[in-house]
Amino acid sequence: MNKLLSVKDLCLTIKSKENQKVLKNISFDIHKSEIVSLIGESGSGKSLTALSIIRLLEKSCKIKSGKIIFLNKNLLSLEERDMRDIRKEDISMIFQEPMRSLNPVMSIFEQLRESYPKKNKIDIKKNIISDLVSVGINDADRVINLYPHQLSGGMKQRVMIAMAIACKPKLLIADEPTTSLDVTIQKQVLDLLVELREKLNMAILFITHDLAVASQVSDKIIVLKDGKIIEENNAKEFFKLPKNSYSKSLLESSVYNRQFFNNQFNSENDILSVQNLKVFYQEKKSFFGNNSSLLKAVDDVSLSIKPGMTHAIAGESGSGKTTIAKAIMGLTNITSGKIKICDKDILNMNNSEIRSFRKNYQMIFQDPFSSLNPRMRIGAIIKEGLCFLKPEIDNRTISSILEDVIDKVGLSIDSLNKYPHQFSGGQRQRIAIARVLVLNPKLLICDEPTSSLDVTVQKQVLDLLLNIQEKTKISYLFISHDIKLISNFSDTISIMHKGRIVEHGITSDIINNSKNSYTKKLLKSVPQIIN
Amino acid sequence: MFVFLLTDLFFYIIILTLLSYILYVRKTPDLLETWSYVFKNKTGALSVLVLSFFMIIALSDSIHFKNKVYDENNKKYTYTSEISSLLDIILLPIHENSEKSYSSPFSSKLYSKETVKIDKDIDKRVYPKLKYKGNHNLYSEKNIQNIFITIIISFVKTLFICFIMYLIIFYKTLFKNFKKITTYFLRNKFIYLSFFIILLIFISLYDLSIQYYVLGTDKVGEDVLYKSIKSIRTGILIGTLTTIVMLPFAIFLGIFAGYIGGFVDDIIQYIYTTLNSIPSVLLIASAILMLQVYMANNPIDFENVYERADLRLFFLCMILGLTSWTGLCRLLRGESMKLREIEYVQASQTFGLSKVSIIIRHIIPNIMHIVIITVVLDFSALVLAEAVLSYVNIGVDPTTYSWGNMINAARLEMSREPIVWWSLFAAFLFMFILVLFANLFSDAVRDAFDPRANKNYE
Repeated sequence: MNKLLSVKDLCLTIKSKENQKVLKNISFDIHKSEIVSLIGESGSGKSLTALSIIRLLEKSCKIKSGKIIFLNKNLLSLEERDMRDIRKEDISMIFQEPMRSLNPVMSIFEQLRESYPKKNKIDIKKNIISDLVSVGINDADRVINLYPHQLSGGMKQRVMIAMAIACKPKLLIADEPTTSLDVTIQKQVLDLLVELREKLNMAILFITHDLAVASQVSDKIIVLKDGKIIEENNAKEFFKLPKNSYSKSLLESSVYNRQFFNNQFNSENDILSVQNLKVFYQEKKSFFGNNSSLLKAVDDVSLSIKPGMTHAIAGESGSGKTTIAKAIMGLTNITSGKIKICDKDILNMNNSEIRSFRKNYQMIFQDPFSSLNPRMRIGAIIKEGLCFLKPEIDNRTISSILEDVIDKVGLSIDSLNKYPHQFSGGQRQRIAIARVLVLNPKLLICDEPTSSLDVTVQKQVLDLLLNIQEKTKISYLFISHDIKLISNFSDTISIMHKGRIVEHGITSDIINNSKNSYTKKLLKSVPQIIN
Repeated sequence: MFVFLLTDLFFYIIILTLLSYILYVRKTPDLLETWSYVFKNKTGALSVLVLSFFMIIALSDSIHFKNKVYDENNKKYTYTSEISSLLDIILLPIHENSEKSYSSPFSSKLYSKETVKIDKDIDKRVYPKLKYKGNHNLYSEKNIQNIFITIIISFVKTLFICFIMYLIIFYKTLFKNFKKITTYFLRNKFIYLSFFIILLIFISLYDLSIQYYVLGTDKVGEDVLYKSIKSIRTGILIGTLTTIVMLPFAIFLGIFAGYIGGFVDDIIQYIYTTLNSIPSVLLIASAILMLQVYMANNPIDFENVYERADLRLFFLCMILGLTSWTGLCRLLRGESMKLREIEYVQASQTFGLSKVSIIIRHIIPNIMHIVIITVVLDFSALVLAEAVLSYVNIGVDPTTYSWGNMINAARLEMSREPIVWWSLFAAFLFMFILVLFANLFSDAVRDAFDPRANKNYE
């Protein structure tokens, strides 16, 4: 095989960070029609490497040294005009967020038209339709007249891919193309990329943080950490036996081992029981009171959790998982149904009763960057709920409780006086956990607590949650779209689809022999590491 | 005897709020860090300096009192009905006398010819000499030379004042750590140099205007420079007092509309849409007319001219404030709608915090940056609005010194031949400097408070 692209000793600095090198001596080769995966955690320089190949770096980034040779031309020394030709003909790129990569005021036809060489309109239309069909959009005649908001996320990403392959590029750079998509759609997009590689004979530089996704598609794996290449290896060998210790820890952190408390399926009363919960939203009523359609976010859902157990709710985005959590926490109005916590019906409580009862059930949120008020100190953040829900505690006890809890979640005591922006994502999620732990709740609702974190950090946070459960016998209602994670983490599971629970039971039963067709489809599309 | 006019009291309140905000910022580390970006930025630091000079002038013009005079008839001290401010006392040598009519800047004669008797029967048309200034050169007979020497003397005075200030600030470490102080000065040389230059401009203007009419005189022979300096208070007052009136409406209605939503949101939106669609000039005109009618019907309550003028100024600020809160309200409504859905607000909701305490603890601190940016941006717009309103005669009282009134008067001056340009020029110059630096300041503030802006100055 001959070389298509070779990066040699690429070094890059960012102006604002004291001219620190963000990429250090990156060198690798991509051969014709080869899929190379760049793997690394956020901030490791994956995207910067890709952007310096296509030369779309921000102005604050400066390439200090190195060569990027593409078909005997050094891309770094080309004029901008020539580079534009290369982008037009040879290298194209697809981005992470399909929602933001398409211009909302242009129809699909107009958007795609830009990327075709100037011909007459009818020819272009024919080309566009055939390309859209080749990325798996079957009713292309209809789709080209639509606007981006009328398409689903997966469709948008397909359109993006069609746009990228319009010029029949020799190299396609895919920057986390499936991260914001649901698993079932993710599988379709990955399959499509592999298929297109064979059809068009193009090479793909695939950037991802997800090892399982990488193992599905790639021929070669490059692991990046802190701007350095840690390991470069053939994909098969890499997943069999990674050489580097960091790569090993990456691989291991996608596996959790949990001691199941199966013996505790006893007659104890349920901590949480939800019966026939319905949450319907009315599309906003117009001023003159025309009734419009109902949106059934949660439709007739029942579930129960025993003390010390973890119950998981899995499903794709928009299936109503988070709405259940919000309904339990009282953040949204309930159409009908019953919610009992510790055998007490929380829907029939008056305000003062519910205020004193709230300390028994709490919630941690998905995004640690928006769940902490940026203008409050950590101490004040943790104290907030405590002061409000347990006003009887005096100040001295509060400070000892704070020190105790911050130690429990593995942070140093002086972080109580810091502000949220001084912490990383994982540390912030620990703070969010500390905030609810001080109340000693019996039930904790975790709404995708790790989905915005890197894999190694994800493992630390989950380990912390397990650790707490072993000590305090707390129950978790764990909401996630990541079935792989849930299958290792939970005792019982409910699979949700379009607001309904399609299947529920003991996790291992469902994972291993599901009866429902939707569950089967979901399980099948979860990317697995191929050994 | 001190006299407190209505606007004076509000001006003191504004100064106090400003000072307490500064104290609050000094105590809060993250706010201090944000504000320090304003001072690290050179234009930001310079504009703070210039604006604080303006503020000091406005403040000294807001301390009013009545003078004591000895009454020959009753053989005792009485108070005059005339009210003067601290600034009037300081600038007394500049404005105590006035000429007959127009004279151009630095001139020694009137601007128009008059008939003067030379002999018994011979009349002659000449430019009469000015009575009080322009002919009494202290240092030299030649004008240019005299101006030059005056400026040099002011330079020496400025140096002396700076040296005294330096002694006061550094009296402890004066002789111990000379090297440290020099490096400190070198590091902050820009700000000290600009302070020196601004002070020099002030002192030399003062020295010059004792001998000359630096910006000429107006129709009744009053020093135009003095008029422009007196107008600073009016401009700043309209800029700040209006904001004080507007803020509670904007903040509370904006947050209620955004955070509570639903029915409340609908009502508030209808209110501000309605208010926005009424032409504001119409509202202001009718309000000012109503006030004038009221004052004409109750002459006992408003005994002197100063109180009437002051009340009119105050009323103008009120009505401007009532019409200008809608823009900020709309911004804050959007921002609190966004914050309502953000997770730390929801987290506090799960703790069962009441709406009011969520607004105080979480919403208000997180919208304050928008408020500050808008207030500083609006300030310059309001100073300009005053000029426009006075031009169409619905602004401040004609007896109040204001740039708008000066521009209004300049309408006639510009249409006579030869034209009198300095009145308009003076108003333009002062307004330009104030608005320019207010804008530069708001730019610096916006950069500092905008999380996405690049904060690497130098």
